[in-house]
Amino acid sequence: MTAWMIETVVLAVGGVGPAILLAARGRPVQRLVGLQVGTVSVTVLLMLFAQSQHQSSYLIVPLVLVVLSFVGTLVFTRLTGPKP
Amino acid sequence: MSGVTAAVAVGLSAAGVLVIVACAVLALVTNDLYARLHFLSPMTSLGAPLVTLGLAVSSGWSLTAGQLLLTGALLLVTGPGLEVAIGRTAAQQDGIEPLESPE
Repeated sequence: MTAWMIETVVLAVGGVGPAILLAARGRPVQRLVGLQVGTVSVTVLLMLFAQSQHQSSYLIVPLVLVVLSFVGTLVFTRLTGPKP
Repeated sequence: MSGVTAAVAVGLSAAGVLVIVACAVLALVTNDLYARLHFLSPMTSLGAPLVTLGLAVSSGWSLTAGQLLLTGALLLVTGPGLEVAIGRTAAQQDGIEPLESPE
C-alpha cells in the first residue's frame, strides 16, 4: 500500500465521514456546511486516488466535480435562503 | 523521482490531508454554524493546495501537474466564495442580515 493510498483512506474516513454526519443533521443551511466539507474531501480524495493508481486520466473527475459543486452549492444556498 | 523529491511530495500531501481531516473533525464537534464555517477556510485555502502541490511535485513538470494545479486553484478560488454564500444565507435566515431589497 503506497503513501497515496494510505492518504486516500485517511481522507475517506476522516474527511468524508464527518461530512456525511454534518450533512445529515440540522437545518438545511447547516447541512450545506457538510456538503462543502464533503466536496473538498472527495475532490482531494479523487486526486490522491488517481495518483495512487498512476492514471492521470482519472483527474478529469475531480476537476469537473469542483466546477459543478461550486454551481450546485450556490443553487442550494439560493433555494434554502429565505423567500422575500 | 528521487528520494528527496518523493519525500517532499509525500510530506506536502500528508500535511494537507492532516489539515483537511482536522478541520472536518473540528467542524463536526462544533455546535455553532458560524464557527463551523471558520473551519472550512483552512480546508480550501491550505489543505487542498498543500495536497495539490505534493501531487504536482510527484508528477513532475507535465500536463498531469498542470491539471492537478488547475483543480487546486479552482478549489482555492471557489472555497471562500461558497463559505460567504452559506454564511450570508444563514445570517438572512437568523435575521442578522437583511434580505435583499427587490429591484
